[in-house]
Amino acid sequence: MSMIRRILALDGVNVICHFRDDGYLLEGYGLMGRDDMVRLAQFAHDYRRMIQGNADQLAMFTGMRGWTPPHGWIARGAVQSVCGVGNLVCIVEGADAPMNEILLELREISHW
Amino acid sequence: MATLDELMRLPAAMAAFEFRGSGELLDQRIAYPERINETTLDLLAHMCAANMSIATMQARGWEKVTAMKGFYPIQEFTLVGFDWSVVVSGFRREQIKSEGKTSLPPLMGVVLGNEKADYEAAFAVLEGQEPIP
Repeated sequence: MSMIRRILALDGVNVICHFRDDGYLLEGYGLMGRDDMVRLAQFAHDYRRMIQGNADQLAMFTGMRGWTPPHGWIARGAVQSVCGVGNLVCIVEGADAPMNEILLELREISHW
Repeated sequence: MATLDELMRLPAAMAAFEFRGSGELLDQRIAYPERINETTLDLLAHMCAANMSIATMQARGWEKVTAMKGFYPIQEFTLVGFDWSVVVSGFRREQIKSEGKTSLPPLMGVVLGNEKADYEAAFAVLEGQEPIP
């Protein structure tokens, strides 16, 4: 069994995808069709690059160390959130989801 | 509505700030002025305002193309940097917008040290659910 599937055991996590450095979907699990997982992987890949660029520029313009390279990002909507760490992205439902634990798990698995 | 002083009581809070939707810094509290200053917060606020707008556009587009709901409007954006994180919120603004009002409060944000960062607590304070004792 793929190790990333264990993320689905956390409360609120409905989808988990692992993508290549070019955004290609390697594997995805959860409550989403394959076509949308492909879109999610590409989106998360683009978002990761954007966040990396923002952190680099913030560090360059301010001289403040400690922002880059960034570990991840969260975009939190009213009901659904998207959370990315490394080459992993997940969709989390509910305002009460254990986001601290989800981030820790994503970070651990992203190093494998 | 969260206050800057409440945000500063979060674990590992380095700074809290208010900013306009266009990014201008309005007010701030800084715990470690040797690490982060007003100029850095101003740039950070502009970066966060840009990211809130981009994430909102993406949520809109995602809902349109997938028919999934619940992403729009974006309430909080979080960047987890190498040592620091920033969490910003437009939650209160969205609430007021949904009431049909046009005069909107500022966005709020907090800078946290990653080692002890509690993102759930940050969301709770920013959404006015749980004032930190």
